[in-house]
Amino acid sequence: MIGNGPVCAEQTYGRGLAGLVVGDTAISEVDGIRGRLLYRGYPVEQLVGRTSFEEVAYLVLFGEMPDASRLADWTAELVRWRHPPEAALDALQRVPARAHPLAQYRTMMTVAACHIPEPENTELDAQWRRPARILSWTAGLAAYAIRHLQGLAPVAPRDDLGYAANFLYQTLGEPPSEEALEAFEASLVVQAEHGLHAAAFAALIVISTGADLGSAVLAGMGALSGARHGGANQLCFEMLARLEGPEHARVWALEALARGHRFPGFGHRVYKCPDPRVRSLEPYAEALLASRGQKKLWHTYLALREEVEGALGAKGIYANVDSITGLLYHPIGLPVSAFPIPFCLAIQTGWMAHCLEYLPDGRVIEPGAVYIDPE
Amino acid sequence: MSKLQTLSGAFDWRAEAIDWPVTTDVGPGLAGVVAAETRVMWLDPSSGELAYRGVPIDALASSPDFEATAHLLITGRGPEEDPGGLANFRHQVRSSRLLPPDVVDLVRSLDPATHPTRILRAGVSALGCHELSVDDDLSGSRQWRELRIVGQVASLVGEICRHRNGLGSRAPEEGCSLSEGVLAALNDRRPEPDEIRALDLLWVLYAAHGLDAPTFTSMVVASCLADPYYNIVAGLSALRGPKTGGASESVLDQLLPLDNPGAAEAWVRKAIDSGETIAGFGHRAYHMPDPRVVILRKEVAAMARSRGRSELFEIARTVESAVTRELAPKGVFINVNFYGALLFHLLGAEPPLAPCLIAVGRMAGMAALVSEALDNIRLYRPLSRYVGVGDRTP
Repeated sequence: MIGNGPVCAEQTYGRGLAGLVVGDTAISEVDGIRGRLLYRGYPVEQLVGRTSFEEVAYLVLFGEMPDASRLADWTAELVRWRHPPEAALDALQRVPARAHPLAQYRTMMTVAACHIPEPENTELDAQWRRPARILSWTAGLAAYAIRHLQGLAPVAPRDDLGYAANFLYQTLGEPPSEEALEAFEASLVVQAEHGLHAAAFAALIVISTGADLGSAVLAGMGALSGARHGGANQLCFEMLARLEGPEHARVWALEALARGHRFPGFGHRVYKCPDPRVRSLEPYAEALLASRGQKKLWHTYLALREEVEGALGAKGIYANVDSITGLLYHPIGLPVSAFPIPFCLAIQTGWMAHCLEYLPDGRVIEPGAVYIDPE
Repeated sequence: MSKLQTLSGAFDWRAEAIDWPVTTDVGPGLAGVVAAETRVMWLDPSSGELAYRGVPIDALASSPDFEATAHLLITGRGPEEDPGGLANFRHQVRSSRLLPPDVVDLVRSLDPATHPTRILRAGVSALGCHELSVDDDLSGSRQWRELRIVGQVASLVGEICRHRNGLGSRAPEEGCSLSEGVLAALNDRRPEPDEIRALDLLWVLYAAHGLDAPTFTSMVVASCLADPYYNIVAGLSALRGPKTGGASESVLDQLLPLDNPGAAEAWVRKAIDSGETIAGFGHRAYHMPDPRVVILRKEVAAMARSRGRSELFEIARTVESAVTRELAPKGVFINVNFYGALLFHLLGAEPPLAPCLIAVGRMAGMAALVSEALDNIRLYRPLSRYVGVGDRTP
């Protein structure tokens, strides 16, 4: 990133730093014109179905696919951190149930962070050992939070299950079916990294101050919790669930288009073409919904997508990844309010990769502000 | 479109309006980049001027009143201009110090030796769960404007001080100022007038300083329309960083073990020779010594003398001169944390408490800058350039 070499060029940019190139990255290539997403050179659609989330997380974080022995070490490290501090779980007893689920999850994370021995927080070497702990602790805390929302007792982790399978097991209380697991794993794989979006940028600013990786992830979570950033997959699913079928979807879409409605799950700041993550996940959604006897929901989605893209595609508005993940998480059995959580778990991998890339000699990120004289 | 500056040339960071997009030089760490327009504060890197809402920092520091300064920063109105508003504001801030018992319990359930900024972050997070429900408009700037946050953070910091010192929970005395409340919690006794003045001064000077990393983090998070407590959790995450507010702790860790000016001189020489970072020196904002340093140095001298700690001031003075002699020619100048941290120490704070105490003052500036930004903000979404490997297949 900008730390790895001086960037002193003159640049032109707009409000919100739109168009400003903050620096160089070797983590992912997000091509919004051709609709391509590559992690460390690998197109995501080729990783889906072939690689586990553990492998992809390693690739994104450390730059290469792990060989068998590295993968074994990395997996063991992830398993080792599957027990977040008890105090973090207890913290939920002290916050009101009416609080926003992401605020509850945030509180658990901040309490968990109090249980990390202090010198580790500021040592550079230690940062490299942190991603496993953060990935596993957050999964355990999230599973606990989702069960807590539903009034269910926590489920202890199972060491013999992979990251995705164990998260579903701890969330749902039983091991997932093979097809549910494949679909869920695919959703984690395609959402593991997505360039320097606002949340990744927030994480980068925090890491630039010399703070620890967990603090950077918390800032990223903050950005993601905002209405402009995360949570669209929940809204999109709720929209689809309200429609009675494909015919209704078409009629409603045309009517909504006519009054200029903004469809959650459609349109993207970067992609002005079909989102490559959508194409990768659609086959999983179709198969999963069919096997659960919910083919109608699938056709409702297709009908809505066709109408919206038919009308707005020329303006660069297409279904984005948030349009499809709900159609995986619903048949898997996650409650609707928990839909944003898997995205949080996956994308923090990318934030940490950006932080680690920035760390070696990155300068504190402190831009300027122009004072507008009221006189 | 306007061209704003070149890194080498002088540039006026003051304008009537900005005509976006702009063209500027972009330095490491986004130096030189214009990330916001603000009416809240003004700092001039070349003249060393610093003003809140047009009021020079020297004027605010001459009879420091943190609550009045917070009111000025957030509303833009001075005490003479709006005495009624200020009185209301004081009442509101002070009465928001009563924390929900669950939040106090959460703080007290944590190991007292935990770094105070981490406990503060957990406390703020839990408080947010009590203040806002899932049905609220979480993105609103109401909580910032009502300024409950400033009082709440002050109260949490007081609780954390007491917990750290093995004292039971006690809410601040009703009606006392924020600085009186925190000092009473820190030292478990009624504070002296010069202590109250010193803490007010520290908070006034630390209240706002442009888009430093904690404030900018908070603005980026706010631009996604996250709730204010998430903004603070994110801002506090950055504030603890050893390269920002966390440096205040390092200043004390480095200075307190030095026994006399001679030892100080020797330590500086050794530190510079071995390339060690000397906390309290170096900053991006000014091409000269930080204007707040002069004010704080005087205050530290007076406080040290009256507390029989003149030796500590002498040691600090020695370190300052020795480091300045070596590093000023390279453009590295003393910053606010050097004497700021010493003053916190003279008020009774252990080194790890310093960043937490800074946070209270900083809440005022964050509230002002973030709520201002919320009015016309656009999602912060810069770009990166891909320079990695080309296509490959698994």
